[in-house]
Amino acid sequence: MAFISSGYNPDKPMEDRITDIGPRKFDEFLPPVIKKNFGEWDYHEILEPGILVHVAKSGDKVYTIRCGGARLMTTSHIREMLEIADKHCGGHLRFTTRNNVEFMVDDEAKMKALKEDLASRKFAGGSNKFPIGGTGAGITNIVHTQGWVHCHTPATDASGPVKAVMDDCYEHFTSMDLPAPLRISLACCLNMCGAVHASDIGLVGIHRKPPIIDHSVLDNVCEIPLAVSACPLGAIKPTKTELQGEKVNTVAVNENRCMYCGNCYTMCPALPLADKEGDGIAIMVGGKISNRISEPKFSKVVVAYVPNEPPRWPTLTKTVKNIVEVYSKNARKYERLGDWAERIGWEKFFELTGIPFTHHCIDDFRDPAYYTWRQSTQFKFTSHVK
Amino acid sequence: MATVEYAGKSFEVDEDGFLQRFEDWCPEWVDYVKESEGIKELTEGHQKVIDFLQDYYKKNGIAPMVRILSKVTGYKLKQIYELFPSGPGKGACKMAGLPKPTGCV
Ligand code: HEM
Ligand code: HEM
Ligand code: SF4
Ligand code: SF4
Repeated sequence: MAFISSGYNPDKPMEDRITDIGPRKFDEFLPPVIKKNFGEWDYHEILEPGILVHVAKSGDKVYTIRCGGARLMTTSHIREMLEIADKHCGGHLRFTTRNNVEFMVDDEAKMKALKEDLASRKFAGGSNKFPIGGTGAGITNIVHTQGWVHCHTPATDASGPVKAVMDDCYEHFTSMDLPAPLRISLACCLNMCGAVHASDIGLVGIHRKPPIIDHSVLDNVCEIPLAVSACPLGAIKPTKTELQGEKVNTVAVNENRCMYCGNCYTMCPALPLADKEGDGIAIMVGGKISNRISEPKFSKVVVAYVPNEPPRWPTLTKTVKNIVEVYSKNARKYERLGDWAERIGWEKFFELTGIPFTHHCIDDFRDPAYYTWRQSTQFKFTSHVK
Repeated sequence: MATVEYAGKSFEVDEDGFLQRFEDWCPEWVDYVKESEGIKELTEGHQKVIDFLQDYYKKNGIAPMVRILSKVTGYKLKQIYELFPSGPGKGACKMAGLPKPTGCV
């Protein structure tokens, strides 16, 4: 295609340059009913899964329909949202912190027309374009990352497994039949971009093999001290090696110390470690960020490894679904997954879910590991402890 | 890996235009890169930053932290951006022949 200039002049890059203007101010985009009643909301109700009504002290109402979003989307899809917003919502819409999309209208009749329109839209493959749900005690969208679509450090994909898990848990997106909201998040490597460390169910891509060292370029493309200090376990040391009769600076990895985190690769492109058979997903449970009743919690590893099985990740989806169903059947109302597991005891969690407990889940990282062991005679006899 | 020919020298570079080998650096490299980094005329200030980066890299095996660069050269970050519009990493380190910055940039 022919080059089309935006007006930028590469010969004078600093001329007419606009900088530090920040984002547009949020209130430029508020629907009139939100603007008018800003800070004056009285109460809200969840009318049905995916549909909320907020009532202002003035008596004004705003109806919100929340729809699932794939997060990764084309401009055509965004244009379709804009078409819907133009048709029903005076051109306004918003995205939630879990990447759902919300359409707002100011009366009930408009809400019903909007709902019908949204429910009718499907992709050619049959998937709903705007599935309504994600409110209350159900499973809302999965906070996720780049995966094989864009990042260079993933141990698994993001968009693929998220589609597979949401397909399997779809009934909980469109209903509110769980004891409390259940947040699922996925990160494709231990960097944990997103929310996996503080979610009811967290899915994290992991490696199981140490990095491969490309001695021929390492000293040229890496700052060696950075690679050494990137290692949480002190497994890397600087060294010299013979390469075609020449001595070169490089690093050595003590494979008995390496736990395959991949941090050194993040800092040094000459230490790749992704591996088709080795890589997979670890499953964590029991995290939350709200302060409701119990303090916020980190999620804890309960399944050390499930294999990558593109395109549908059947072992992963089956394991997640099982955890959701066992929690749903056993937890009390308002109990988040972590509240439940802590009340019944982790040995009971493993027994009820039937997840085999392995030594991999026992913390062995530095002094704090000690605090995760049991310094008490209080435990229950289970199928794991007889 | 592409090879750049300039002023009778040849340089191996990656897709972002960083030198593949620090030892390949020479003053012609700076002359070649400056245009794409939005720099018309090389001043004493540019040279001071480049010299310090090279010196620090040779001694320590890493690029200096931005705070160290500021402290030693006496240039505030704002002034460094005035000299190198793409900033200390993409601009100054590239011209100084240091390896491409890594991590979650
Ligand atoms: C006093 C006023 C309000 C109160 C007490 C309130 C309370 C709540 C509560 C309890 C939730 C959690 C519901 C759930 O997870 O199912 C929630 C979620 C939410 N509310 Fe409100 N709300 C208020 C005003 C508003 C207003 C004015 C809006 C915008 C029109 C709004 C938009 C939302 C959204 C988008 C969420 C979901 C956040 C997410 O999960 O990403 N709220 N609110
Ligand atoms: C009248 C005030 C509020 C009420 C009654 C309220 C109530 C709630 C409730 C009941 C939940 C569900 C918690 C759970 O199931 O664990 C919730 C979630 C949440 N609230 Fe509030 N809230 C209020 C104000 C706020 C404010 C001011 C913020 C932000 C500064 C906030 C941020 C959130 C967030 C981010 C969540 C989602 C937590 C998660 O994903 O686990 N809330 N809120
Ligand atoms: S979690 Fe890891 S692999 Fe995934 S986007 Fe973040 S850094 Fe990249
Ligand atoms: S992968 Fe992680 S543990 Fe292994 S050597 Fe690299 S930084 Fe250390």
